[in-house]
Amino acid sequence: MRPPGAPRAVRDARAAAAAFRVQLLLVRRSVGDLRVLFTVPLYALIFLAIAAVSGDRSLTAYAVLAPGLIALWSMMLFAAGDLITQDRSAGRLEAVVAAPVPLFTVVAARLAAVAAVSLISLAEAWAVARWVFGLRVPLVHPMAFGVGLLATAFAMTGTATAMACAFVLSRSARIFQNSLSYPVYLLGGVLMPVSALPGWLRPASRLVFLTWSGGLLRDSLATPAVADLPGRLLALTALGLAGFAAGGWLMRRILTRVRAAGTLGLA
Amino acid sequence: MTRAAAAAAADAADATAAPDTRAAVSVRALRRTFRTTGRGSGLFTGRLRGRRRDEDTGERVALRGIDLDIAPGEVHGLLGPNGAGKTTLCKILSTVLLPSSGTVHLLGHDVAARPAAVRPLIGIVFGGERGLYERLTARQNLLYWACLYGMSGRRLAERSEELLEQLGLGAHADERVERFSRGMKQRLHLARGLVHDPPVVLLDEPTAGMDPVSAHGFRDLVRALRAEGRTVLVTTHDMAEAEAVCDRVTLIDRGAVVASATPAELGAWAAESERVTARDVPPGVLTQLSALPHVTAVPPDAQGRTVLRVGEGGDAAAVVRLLLDAGVRELATSRPGLEEVYLRLIGRRGMEVAR
Ligand SMILES: Nc1ncnc2c1ncn2[C@@H]1O[C@H](COP(=O)(O)OP(=O)(O)OP(=O)(O)O)[C@@H](O)[C@H]1O
Ligand SMILES: [Mg+2]
Repeated sequence: MRPPGAPRAVRDARAAAAAFRVQLLLVRRSVGDLRVLFTVPLYALIFLAIAAVSGDRSLTAYAVLAPGLIALWSMMLFAAGDLITQDRSAGRLEAVVAAPVPLFTVVAARLAAVAAVSLISLAEAWAVARWVFGLRVPLVHPMAFGVGLLATAFAMTGTATAMACAFVLSRSARIFQNSLSYPVYLLGGVLMPVSALPGWLRPASRLVFLTWSGGLLRDSLATPAVADLPGRLLALTALGLAGFAAGGWLMRRILTRVRAAGTLGLA
Repeated sequence: MTRAAAAAAADAADATAAPDTRAAVSVRALRRTFRTTGRGSGLFTGRLRGRRRDEDTGERVALRGIDLDIAPGEVHGLLGPNGAGKTTLCKILSTVLLPSSGTVHLLGHDVAARPAAVRPLIGIVFGGERGLYERLTARQNLLYWACLYGMSGRRLAERSEELLEQLGLGAHADERVERFSRGMKQRLHLARGLVHDPPVVLLDEPTAGMDPVSAHGFRDLVRALRAEGRTVLVTTHDMAEAEAVCDRVTLIDRGAVVASATPAELGAWAAESERVTARDVPPGVLTQLSALPHVTAVPPDAQGRTVLRVGEGGDAAAVVRLLLDAGVRELATSRPGLEEVYLRLIGRRGMEVAR
């Protein structure tokens, strides 16, 4: 008998990789988790058609990115809510908590996998523009687009992790899921420019990662140089880190609370 | 002094009892209560059902001051009726539930204060069909759980293959768990709990759902665990199983320890006697038997079955001879087992679950 003795950081990193892989397997085997990806082409058709009718070429980048960003966020929202809820109702949550690797690490890694899968939606929307509308949406600044995607995935995982950690306490994750979709799309300037929002709402939109992601990704599809790339990347990184920090803090407090109350395993 | 204050004072007094540092598991004055407020007590239901208010809004005591020591390498059985507090104790040991008061040390670590130190040291098997990733295969499940315990590389691969084979899941390792029968899931739970080679193993009703042959295989598995030097705490409702595998057993009822001893000691304590069971004993012979020293006869039941207890110093052989001479042909002798102890101590409560 020798309980595994790798240093904690190594152990947690390995476990995170395993959780990432397992989540990919779980997503692949669940049509439910992927349903969002089926709706992307439909949204893309609608948005691109509106852009085409308006005749405003500058709207194309908006129309291509909007369905992708919507899919990204709604996939993350559902994953964040369902992860804990499903583990709890299937009687797995207590066993995960009893394992040495922190629940926070497992949750963050699994959500990172969902974030990675959700990026497919951007490719889908792009494909609809290309093959259905015959629109070439060139990647003018591929480097900016690439790091923009990475930073988006990071920020999104951080935000979703904070939410998922809160769901360890709440047994009504669905309400949050439903109330956090459209407000976030609006605040994040996914459906219309943030400048169209009432003035008092605009500061709030800066706290939504989609504002920064959308802006950065749209700019990297247009000819002028991408404005303030470092600043935007920094904002996305900061939002992601804030999410992870909030999640970690919440998780510690909430776990102590549910272990005291005896509600960890209650479905 | 209020009741709560009195209870707290009693706890404080008990808590001074130091944990046994040589024990693998040392439990002192362990209490756990659950708040039952609100649940199922609607605005009117309490009154309609005529319940007392404190029953609806009070605390449920799951463990009321448990003391227990388990030596390293010991297989310890935890027995008791439904709702006795067995699972609650297992959950506290496995760090997912905090004690209300009292202490629990596992290999010297306080489970409430130092969960991170305790978690790698225990393997948990909470019985039942749930708790696995149904959409993953048995192997994927096992590898994943092992990773959560920091296993990796060659050691992980070897250990998981070994366990899948040992638990008879080798041929089904790449099947999705959703297609597994209950017993197969239970075996996978066992593999999951053992995969990281833990020195302490908690088994909560590990044979629930297993067929009798598998359940016998389980006994061999527990013996192997003991041979490997592991400490095992196993809860079960199967007295024969407890008697077969446990070095010591603890009976708990309504959150308190009723008895803690080796199965043999308990058996001896229950009757300190041999038992002769016979059918259709003529009344005259029964009187004759009762007159023998240290022999008590229980009057025949509806099937005409008589139980004769032969206490210490009594001569069971004489009883048997007398019965045979009287022409009684249906008879058997036995030593009372754990089941009898259990029934005598816990009583025949029928289906009622203690509150
Ligand atoms: N999370 C909880 N919230 C409220 N009450 C609980 C909770 N967990 C257990 N209890 C109560 O604590 C008592 C002990 O339950 P426990 O599950 O430990 O019994 P057990 O001995 O494992 O029974 P069984 O043989 O049926 O498995 C019961 O009265 C139960 O209702
Ligand atoms: Mg139980």
